[in-house]
Formats: sequence, structure tokens, C-alpha cells
Amino acid sequence: MNNKPKIGVYVCHCGINISKTVDVEAVTEFASHLPYVEVARNYSYMCSDPGQLLIKEDIKNQGLNRIVVASCSPRMHELTFRKALAEVGLNPYYLEMANLREHCSWVHQDREEATIKAKKLVAAAAAKARLLEPLVENEVDVEPATLIIGGGIAGIQAALDIASAGFKVYMVEKTPSVGGKMSQLDKTFPTLDCSACILTPKMVDVASHPNIELMTYSQVEEVSGYVGNFEVKVRKKARYVDVNKCTGCGLCAEECRLHNRIPSEFDMGMGKRSAIYIPFPQAVPAKYTIDPERCLFLTRGKCGKGPKCIDACLPGAINFEQEDEIVEFKVGSVIVATGYDLFDPSRKPEYGYNDYPNVLTAMELERLVSASGPTGGEILLGRGKGEEPYIPKEIAFIQCVGSRDASCGNEYCSRVCCMYTAKLAHLMTEKIPDANVRVYYMDVRAFGKGFEEFYDRVRREGVHYIRGNPSEVFKRGDKLVVKAEDTLTATPLEDEVDMVVLAVGLEPRKDAREIMDLLRLSQSGDRFFLEAHPKLAPVDTATDGVYLAGCAQGPKDIPDTVAQAKGAASSALILLSSGKVKVQAQISSVDESTCRGCGFCVEICPYGAVDLVTVNRMGHQVQVARVNEAVCKGCGACVAGCLSGSIQQRSFKDEQILPQIAVLGGMR
Amino acid sequence: MSEQFKPNIVAFLCNWCTYAGADLAGTSRMQYPANVHIIRVMCTGRINPLFVVNAFQQGADGVIISGCHPGDCHYMEGNFYARRRFTMLREMLEYVGVEPERFHMSWVSASEGAKWKDVVEEAVESAQKVGPFDQFRRNKINW
Amino acid sequence: MVDLEKLRTVAKETVSRDDVKYLIGWRQGTYGFRVSPHFMKEPEEAEKLIFSPLCSNNLATYLTSVEKLPVPRGEEPDTRKVALMVKGCDSRAVVQQIVEQGIKREDVIIIGCPCDGIVDLNKVKEKFPNVLELVQARWNNGNVVFQLPEGEKEVPREEVLADKCLTCRYPNPVEADVMLWEEVKTRGSDEYADIKEMEVKDVQEKKSYWQDKFSTCIRCYSCRNVCPMCYCEDCILDRLNPNWIFRSVNATENMAFHLTRAFHLAGRCIECGECERVCPVDIPLMKLNRKLYKETREIFDYEPGLDLESKPLLASYRPDDQEDFIL
Repeated sequence: MNNKPKIGVYVCHCGINISKTVDVEAVTEFASHLPYVEVARNYSYMCSDPGQLLIKEDIKNQGLNRIVVASCSPRMHELTFRKALAEVGLNPYYLEMANLREHCSWVHQDREEATIKAKKLVAAAAAKARLLEPLVENEVDVEPATLIIGGGIAGIQAALDIASAGFKVYMVEKTPSVGGKMSQLDKTFPTLDCSACILTPKMVDVASHPNIELMTYSQVEEVSGYVGNFEVKVRKKARYVDVNKCTGCGLCAEECRLHNRIPSEFDMGMGKRSAIYIPFPQAVPAKYTIDPERCLFLTRGKCGKGPKCIDACLPGAINFEQEDEIVEFKVGSVIVATGYDLFDPSRKPEYGYNDYPNVLTAMELERLVSASGPTGGEILLGRGKGEEPYIPKEIAFIQCVGSRDASCGNEYCSRVCCMYTAKLAHLMTEKIPDANVRVYYMDVRAFGKGFEEFYDRVRREGVHYIRGNPSEVFKRGDKLVVKAEDTLTATPLEDEVDMVVLAVGLEPRKDAREIMDLLRLSQSGDRFFLEAHPKLAPVDTATDGVYLAGCAQGPKDIPDTVAQAKGAASSALILLSSGKVKVQAQISSVDESTCRGCGFCVEICPYGAVDLVTVNRMGHQVQVARVNEAVCKGCGACVAGCLSGSIQQRSFKDEQILPQIAVLGGMR
Repeated sequence: MSEQFKPNIVAFLCNWCTYAGADLAGTSRMQYPANVHIIRVMCTGRINPLFVVNAFQQGADGVIISGCHPGDCHYMEGNFYARRRFTMLREMLEYVGVEPERFHMSWVSASEGAKWKDVVEEAVESAQKVGPFDQFRRNKINW
Repeated sequence: MVDLEKLRTVAKETVSRDDVKYLIGWRQGTYGFRVSPHFMKEPEEAEKLIFSPLCSNNLATYLTSVEKLPVPRGEEPDTRKVALMVKGCDSRAVVQQIVEQGIKREDVIIIGCPCDGIVDLNKVKEKFPNVLELVQARWNNGNVVFQLPEGEKEVPREEVLADKCLTCRYPNPVEADVMLWEEVKTRGSDEYADIKEMEVKDVQEKKSYWQDKFSTCIRCYSCRNVCPMCYCEDCILDRLNPNWIFRSVNATENMAFHLTRAFHLAGRCIECGECERVCPVDIPLMKLNRKLYKETREIFDYEPGLDLESKPLLASYRPDDQEDFIL
């Protein structure tokens, strides 16, 4: 095969866009004398069918193997011309374009100067074209399975969609049950649906779906590999209960020596559980777990004369010898649905959360409201030892606690608090008919479907909305005083109330960093996970094959979470259903004979696409770098960092760029 | 009256931001001097600082490096590395007597066509001030 | 301070080990003030080893520049450890090589020799010209005592030590498997006076200074060859494809050569000064390398060759790196 470069140069008039300012004939004449140029033509519209035909015919008839198109910006038509080359059997990467329009004819007026510049740009393009190499867009197979990290409503919805499409789902949830924060809610806005009623059927579906392998009380330890071929390691933590034998009868918890002595996380510390527990009655899976930090047998080595749970358990499911289990499997895509944490109001000491028991967070009130909560759905204060429980009448809600607040480091709006406050305020009027409920707000954001209507209804039910952010909550006698200013009437207020509810904002999880390190995720300015593009790719991440769903990406309510989860599932399904994924062609590769294995490229690569491997170089075991072609995105940061020039980026090699510099500098 | 010196400036632009910004300047028909010639790379992280030295050897009177704003890099981190590398290069060049007016680096996003025009004008003006750069120039090779 | 007895004992023991290939140290040279590197394979050779103010060679360069010859069929490569004697600056070279994975920590046995400064042969030869008989030297309270044929001569350190030693901040090896004697006190603090002097000159002065210096370069490549951090299999300065730097010896190629090397050493040069020492035409290479070292320290608060866990300067970044020169 004749490898001598035969370049064809095609100068476009682009109507008069280029030819008005640049003398295209002169440029064509100049190009025809450049080294290795066999053909030089100009035409009115190179991107049109006849224009492309010119190129294709010359390739066929003249045996051209390098094409320079001097026309508009490559960002416009590079793909068009690449396709044209491919259609006649020439590798599409043998194309180089010179931008004579956006960078030349449109920005200069002097015809002579513009033409000189055009000639230089064409010469530079030809100098590079001569050195281009044929590249192939490889394909890799996609493992037809997905990993979903997080068992809240986002993870559950995504899992159900993908499983229904016929693909395998591995779902990993850190706590003993799926359901997430939504399972702690009583009613949801604006429809006042019972949260558990709409959630539990989906939780049960997830546990019983044949395509879903549910791993609760488990954590993802390691994810390696790349899109289509992720290798996952999951640690299934020891429950000390054999889930195959456990029937969920609960006798163990009744008999436990620490029965009802441990604050329940599900009830926000207001209810109690045993050391062997199920997080809430509708937990899925309905299997008990022993808390290794509280269980007397596990922490002290003995529990009285013997653990009472063992005696109580008829199927004999308790097993203190149980160990963590590591499972490994392969997936093609990953969905991160790890959710959020609630803002800790101790960081706003002026609201007295740590000082006064009658200052609650919204989630704590949610648990009191809930029929399965510590008070069976009654709003009762004064529940401490030796106290007389009573129903509060004067209730205050404070909005924007830990949101829209630079002093806490959360400048963003948490999106759900206005609506959940309206919901809780409504529930107060329902549960306590003679209650006097007021909401202190900065703005009310009721943007969604049915939201504004719900807000109107709540106000018609008698909830007072006061525009003013309280400065302080303090005690006076046995009442709490909310100090605020009604900014609409410019009146200072000191309202005496029985209960203050703080509408705490949503924050990224404290363990977000672990997930970030696992999957090379970044954070946006608000510290939630960063999406690939805020408008056009809200569920993608910079790592191919890894998607985001739910509040892990930013605060949102349940409808938006479900919509986004469906979006993430759809993106994951595109990969899974096509079975293959195309890999970038203009990527880096290492000359292993000159590489000295210093690892700079490994450090630099933003995608972790380069690794050090050991190879045999003339009998010696040496370490060299190697690029994972499926992960490399072709940025070239590694190339500029390589001291010996051993790693190079195809189509942008040093030896392809230096001739361009030589031409543009004037030395050639 | 002698003709004003026309400097020869080579620019390395990243594909996703400044190259697109320059395209936008073109689409908006902004006018600027014809002394700047662009080499397209995918990311400023690709730009080996020694390209600048090489450009001066090959006859450039000035060099422009331009890419995405820090934090906006299409490849996440490329421009952070570029920033460090060119900080060191700039110190070195100034130290050995290369006029700082010959080297410009900028962050121009895809929507900042006007800024690109400003960068070009600034680079051309300052290179004109310090004149042709003969110190590094290779003698022209006549093959 | 210097305990030759201990040095030779440790050397003997080390070389006697099965897992040690050889020990690299210093021995007396062939004439005058010269000192040679010594590759000791047998314990008996220990008597040859010395350590004195004349031991200027940075032996770390032998760790990475050792040629890996093709292994004959049926044989295995000798992967035993190498023992190395290091001064303070040399140990930093070893640390940096380990950071860059040029060598593995477990493949080298570092024998630390706290050093009170080594001489600049140019200064010594000016003071004591035409000395051909072998000379020995030792330290005395920071000064250098030469044992010349005509008797002992003590010279104040400022008059005879290398410039790099007068501003040395790391006279004690920063990493060592065994430290041969007690640490010396750090006498130097580097204010980069010579660099600052150059920085304030105007453009023309700088231009002509460096043009003048680099035009004398004969492209012998000694600086690159002796540098412990220059060990790429196919050095960019040699490469023909692409041909970054032409082989012609003229002002522009020389300039490109030295700027390329200096830039490649940014954040890696540990200021051992060997390049300047071996330059046959006395180009002040350290004046250029130290400028980049100073900027690395001031702008990025980074010094190479101190911390085995550190990341290379130009293979890392901070989101808040300065960018005041960027438009």
C-alpha cells in the first residue's frame, strides 16, 4: 500500500461569506504548491452535496488520503466532512479543517491581510494533515446490569423502571430497610397522600421483583472499571440475624434486655427501640438487625446469663458468629441516589434548639404527627420524665432555617420547606382545632402543581403568615417567645408560643465524600453532586455511565425526585439496551518503550484513565503507564505533563502540533 | 514614515471555550487585527508550555493561551494544570529577558466573543510596543 | 563529627548482605583535590571509602541513570538493592526519585552523612593553584582544613565552600536507613539574594546577560547527564521525532535547550548544584534553576525532595492557585 500522503485542499467560498474578504482563488493557487498537496479546489458551498461530491470524487479518482477543508469553523461541519470521507472508504480522521470564516473573513476587513492569514491557516492545516493517522472509534460491551446506590424513593423508582425493562438491578442501601426519608413522613404535599401508603407498595415491589437483587444494611466498598464494565464490591454488614430464618415476628425485640431503652433513629430520637430492632413496622425487608454498638453481648461479651433474644427466637435465627460478607459483581451503569441530610439547627443557636425541648425540627414534628410515631399521632409536649403531657395551642413555624443563609454556608434554597411547612401547619389545624398557627417566612415558594392552591387553602384555614425572619427564640416563664419583625407592617413582634417548629433545609450527606471518592464525582458550589450540564444533562455526571437521581444532586420534592429517577433510569437503559458503547477516538496512548513510569499522567488524568502496569522491557520488569481507552476522554492534560513526551494524544500529538507552529510562526 | 510593525502572534485555544468564543466573535462580526493565528487543541491542559518557547523560535512575536474559566473546564481539571504550568513558564520567561508583553493568557468562555476581541487587541498592541522578537528566532531553513 | 570508622563498618556490613548489589560511596580521586565515586562490591573495599568536604558528587544520579542492559536469555536481571551514601542535598534527590517512582524505597539503602558543606573546586584551585599531589580535607567547626603537601591549612568556609552550601537549609539527610553520625546544625538560610538581584534588572540587561551566557554553551549535555532528576529513557532534548530542539549549537537552540531543561525541573530540582559544577564553560545554571525553585516555594509553598508522600508540583493543583496574570 502506498503510504505517501496525498493531500486534497478544498477552499470554500461559503457564498460570499468567505470570498467577499478572502481571495479564495489566490488561496487555492497557493495551496496547490504546498508540500504533498495533489489537488486544490475552491467551490461556493463545500458542505453542500455537490461540494462534498467534489471531495469524494477526488478521493476515489486521485487516490487522495488526506483532506483539508478550508471553510467555516470545525465546530460547525467537522462531522459533516468526516461522514463524507467515511462514505468513500477513507478513514474519517484523515480530515483537517482551517477556519477561514469565523476566525478570518468575518473578523477582518483588509482583503490583503485576510488573504495572507487565510493562506497561513491553510498551510498549517496541510502541515498537520500530512501527519494525521487513521483512528478507530472502538466499541466496548455493556454489562446488562445496573448498580443503584441508595434505597430511598429515587433509588426505588429507578430500580423498578430498569427492572421492568428486563435488566438486572443491584440495589445497595446502607440502613436495614429501604424507604429513605420518605418513610419517615406522615402526609405528603400538596395532595396530603399518606406517605407510607404510596411508598410501601413500591418498597415491596423492589424486594420481590425477580430482576432486583436488594442488599440492605450494605455498603459499596469499591467501584472500579469504566462505562459498561464496572466492577463493584459490596460489603453486606453482619446483622447477626440469619435473614433466611427470621420471620419478623418481633419477639426478640420484646425480650431484649435493652427493650425500649435505645433512642430510635427513625423517630428522630423521640421514640425508643431495642438493641435488636427493625427500623419501622413496614420495613422492607422485614428482618431484624442487632445494633453492634448497643447490644450488650456484642459490646461487652456477655448479656446477663445469656442473650434473651436467642431464647425468644423460635426459628433460631440469631447468630452472633455472623460476619460481614463481601460480594462482587459487574454492572454496566451506576445510579447514585443517596439522598440528603437535614440541617442541624444547633448551628443556629439563636433558635434555641438545644436549649428548649419545645423547639422541634419539622421532621421531629412529622414523627409526632405520624400514627406510627412515638405519640401515636397526637401532638404532645411535656413528654419527659415527671412531666405532664399537654397539647400546644400556640404554634410557630420558622422558615429558611439553614437555607438561603450564607452564615451557615448554605446559600441555596432547599425548595421543599415552604410546602412542607404549609402541610405541617395544615395538619396542626386538623389535629388541634383551636390551635393558633403562624408561619414566619421570607418568601413563600409554591411553584409546583397544586402548590399555590394548597398554600391558599392553608391560609384560609386560619394559618397566619408573617413576613419576617425571627431573630431569636427565648424562654419567658413557661412559654417560648419568638422575636421577629413583621416587615410588611414594620411592626416588631414578640409572640409567646408553646411550640416552635424549625423548617430545616436539606444538605448534602455527611458521608458524601465517600461516594465521591468511589466514583470520581465532583460537587457543585452547593456541595451536592455535580451534574454534567445543569440544563442539558441534569442526570449525567462527568463519569460516563454514572448517573444521579434525587436529592443527591440537589434539593427537590418527591414528584421531581421520581421524575429525575425515571430520567436516570432512562439514561442507564440507553446504555444497557444498546449493549455497546462507543469510545472516543482522539484519545491518548503511551509509547511503552520510552515511558519511565513516573506516574505524572496517572496523577493528572481527571478521569483516572491512566494506570501503571508492569511490563517486560528486554528482560527487566519495568513500570509504565497505560491508558484505558474506554475511559480516556481526550483532553490531553497528560501529554503536556509528560516530561519525555511518551504519552501522546491521537490527532493532537506534539509531532502534529509543532509543524502547525512552524508554519504559523513563519519558519516554513 | 515607517509602516507600523505587524507582529506575528500564535494563539493556542481550547476547543470548548475560547475557540467557541472566537467563533462567536466571528458570527457577531466583531472586527480585530489579523495578526493572530489560531491553533486548536481540545483543552488548555494539552498545551505544553514549551510550545510557547517553540513558537518564539519559529518566528512568533507573541503567544496567546486561552481556555475555559477555572471550574468550567470541559474535562474538569485541564485548565487547573494549565494555570500552574503557565505560572511557572511566565516567571521563567520574564527572568530570561522575554518581555512580558509577548505572552498572554486568558480565560474566555464560549459566550465571551467580545472578550476574545479584547484579548486579541491587547496582545497585538503590546507586541507592537516591544517590536519584533529576534532573540529566539531560528534562522529560516531553506530546504 | 565524621566517623570514618563507623562509615567503613556500616559499608562492610551492608555490602556483605545477600540482598545488596553494591554500595556507592566516595573515594579519593587520582590527583589534587579530586574525589571519585566508588562502586563497592566487596567488603574489603571499605577502606577506600571517605567522606570529606571534597565529596561534591551527588551519587543519587547513579540510581536512575544505571543502564538496563538487555537480559540474556535464560538469565534473570539482578534486582538486588543498592546502598547509597548521601549528603543532605543528595538525600533529597533520592526522595524525589522515589516520589516520581523512578526507584522504589525498598530498593535502596540510604546511608546518611550529615554534611557541613563541600568545596567549590574553582575557589579551591584559586586559593591553592597547581596542586597535583593528593590532598585530604576535613571540617573543623564549619571551616575546612586542607592537608596539603606543605602542611595543614584552615580556610574559613565562606571562602571555599560552594555557593549552594553557604545557603544550604538541609545539611542533614531528610531520609536515611542509617545516619552515620550526629546531625550538623543548619548554618544557612536562603534569601535568594542573587535571584532577586537579577529580577530587578531591566529587560535588556536580562536579555543580554542570558544570551551571553547561553551562547558559550557547547551542548556537551553534561548538565543533563549529571542531574539526578534527568533520567527519561528518551530525553526530550535528544528526541528527533518530534525534533523539539535542533542539534545545532547556536544561541537560539542553546536557549531552548536550557529553558526546556529548567522548565522540566520546575518543582523537581532539589538544588544540588551538580549541573553548575560540571559545566565546562561555567554557565550559572543554578541562577536559572533557583529562580524556579524560589517561585515554587513562594507561590505554591512547595519544596521537592522532602516528603515521600508529596505529589509532584505540576501533576497537582489547588482550586485557588493564583492567576493574577491571566486576563
